[in-house]
Amino acid sequence: MSVILWLTVILFILMKIVGGDKGIKAFFALFLNFAVFSVSIIVLSFHKNVLTITLIACAIICVINLFFISEINAKTMAAFISTITTLLVLILFIFLIEKKAMIQGFGEEEGEEIGSFSLYIGINFTKIAICTLIMSTIAAIIDISISISSSMNELFAYNPSLSKKNLFYSGLNVGRDILGTTTNTLYFAFLGGYLTLILWFKSLPYSFGDVINSKVFSSEVISILTGGIGVAISIPVTAWISAYILAGRRRKKSGQTARHSG
Amino acid sequence: MKTKFKGMPLKTFCVYILGILGFFLVVYFAYHDCFLYKKTIAEVITTKVVSREESVDLNHNKDTLFSQKMTARIKNGQYKGRLIHLNNSYSSSGAFEQKYHDGTELFVSVQKDRTGLKGTIGGVKRDKEILIVAGLFIFVLLAIGKKRGLLSIISLAINVVLLSFVLDLYLDHRNASLLLLCMGAVVLFTVVSLLLVGGNKEKTYVAILATLIGTFVSLLIAYAVIQLTDGAGLHYESMEFVTIPHQQIFMAEILVGALGAVMDVAITLTSSMYELYERNKAISLKALTAAGRKIGGDIMGAMTNILLFAYVSGTIPMILLYLKNNSPLIYTFSVNLSLELARALTGSIGIVLTIPITLYLSRLFIYRKGDKR
Repeated sequence: MSVILWLTVILFILMKIVGGDKGIKAFFALFLNFAVFSVSIIVLSFHKNVLTITLIACAIICVINLFFISEINAKTMAAFISTITTLLVLILFIFLIEKKAMIQGFGEEEGEEIGSFSLYIGINFTKIAICTLIMSTIAAIIDISISISSSMNELFAYNPSLSKKNLFYSGLNVGRDILGTTTNTLYFAFLGGYLTLILWFKSLPYSFGDVINSKVFSSEVISILTGGIGVAISIPVTAWISAYILAGRRRKKSGQTARHSG
Repeated sequence: MKTKFKGMPLKTFCVYILGILGFFLVVYFAYHDCFLYKKTIAEVITTKVVSREESVDLNHNKDTLFSQKMTARIKNGQYKGRLIHLNNSYSSSGAFEQKYHDGTELFVSVQKDRTGLKGTIGGVKRDKEILIVAGLFIFVLLAIGKKRGLLSIISLAINVVLLSFVLDLYLDHRNASLLLLCMGAVVLFTVVSLLLVGGNKEKTYVAILATLIGTFVSLLIAYAVIQLTDGAGLHYESMEFVTIPHQQIFMAEILVGALGAVMDVAITLTSSMYELYERNKAISLKALTAAGRKIGGDIMGAMTNILLFAYVSGTIPMILLYLKNNSPLIYTFSVNLSLELARALTGSIGIVLTIPITLYLSRLFIYRKGDKR
């Protein structure tokens, strides 16, 4: 049996033991997410509209992680809208940076790897770079959105008289509390993947200037920083959208009671 | 009463102004730092597309190839201020080369002939973009996260410096084991990051202990599986930029990569357990454990997903290149994803294992102090 299969079986057993039914659900969600990822790459290979496909893939991933893991309710709905909004802001931001920094595609250091391939394959690699960055942070953004919107819902349930502004600020506070750990998760995941690259640059005679201006290095730096930015901006976005939805729900409710009593 | 500016304390207002000023200073500097470079830098002034050609490669992929002629002004060195002529060819997909626009700064090597200066392009100068993104990163994290944002930035900076230091140490002593060095580094990473996130409290130390046990046990599992199966199905050849033995660096990558997620689980769980206990000191051991397990079950899915996407997404460009060059689907996916999946799975095993470890340790420490039941 291959390494991957063994590790998958071990993970499944552990998730079942530790998480019970929830663990099994989480395992299947993980599997489904990977399936969506694979299918979207295949679609990207013959369909030109990269950004639309990326957004659709992200929306499906949101559906799996929010509506399949929990259910469709006010919390998950708010998290869904917030995640998509954050992604749109992030896409715009990456698009501007990417245009200037030109970090798309492959670097000179990868020449040996890609030497045997035809590079004129008619795919817009600038957009692929945006897709890659968005996909690598999507799960982190979903996680922070659902954490904030659940806490705000709970808070609202205990204190239904909280003003929209206060709800927004408490959402920000919840987000701040988890900002450090979520960004850390991303930082280390990225850093772990860069070990070889850093060793490569360190062991070959590159000057500092060569390294920071090279395509491969600058694209890795920009990915790690955009990941942090994406997680951070999802905090006010989620807090605002959740506050808006909760305040709207209250208005509807008070309108109903007014009608009933009148 | 303190002086306020538009409802903001004057001090905060000054900090913002200073921060924005500092950011613009750094960007201004990055735009004028050519004197620091030994290589010649030229800024493109005019560009003209001189030819355009439709191309169809062996696999029937359509693309358009362009050639552009550019004039650029040299910004440093002995030819400073003089104009130089450059040629560039690129495709509309831009997998390797790209179109250059007015204002792009390029590294060039200069040749002199009777008509003037000619040059070949050695690469794009990207330092200012990196600085701008770094500046925005710092600004966004501080503006939104305040103190937490600052701690997140400090944590990233310290960890990068630590990692760089450990790798230097390894390169200076080639006979040292990279894996052992990284294990040492992991202890430092964990202590530094968790103290920054959780503060100097008992729960932080419990989280540190749980993280280390969880990480090392999951590494051991991965190591055992790889040894037992003789690395079946792992395509080490797909690793890029490799200068040292594959398996060693792969294990080191697994170790560092999963650490953040495992720390997240450990600190989230210990915080919840301690808070539950503080709120209700009479809570029974059984109830506390049940609550902890419920929280653990809730975060397990989210954390494993974060790792999965952070790892596999980087392979998208390469997989597309394979697929467009008519490589078989299964082959393409297994070559490009085997290592990333192994890393994501090992990290996930670490996440799941850390949940019972943290629960057990928190219980141990919570009930050790105070009333023992």
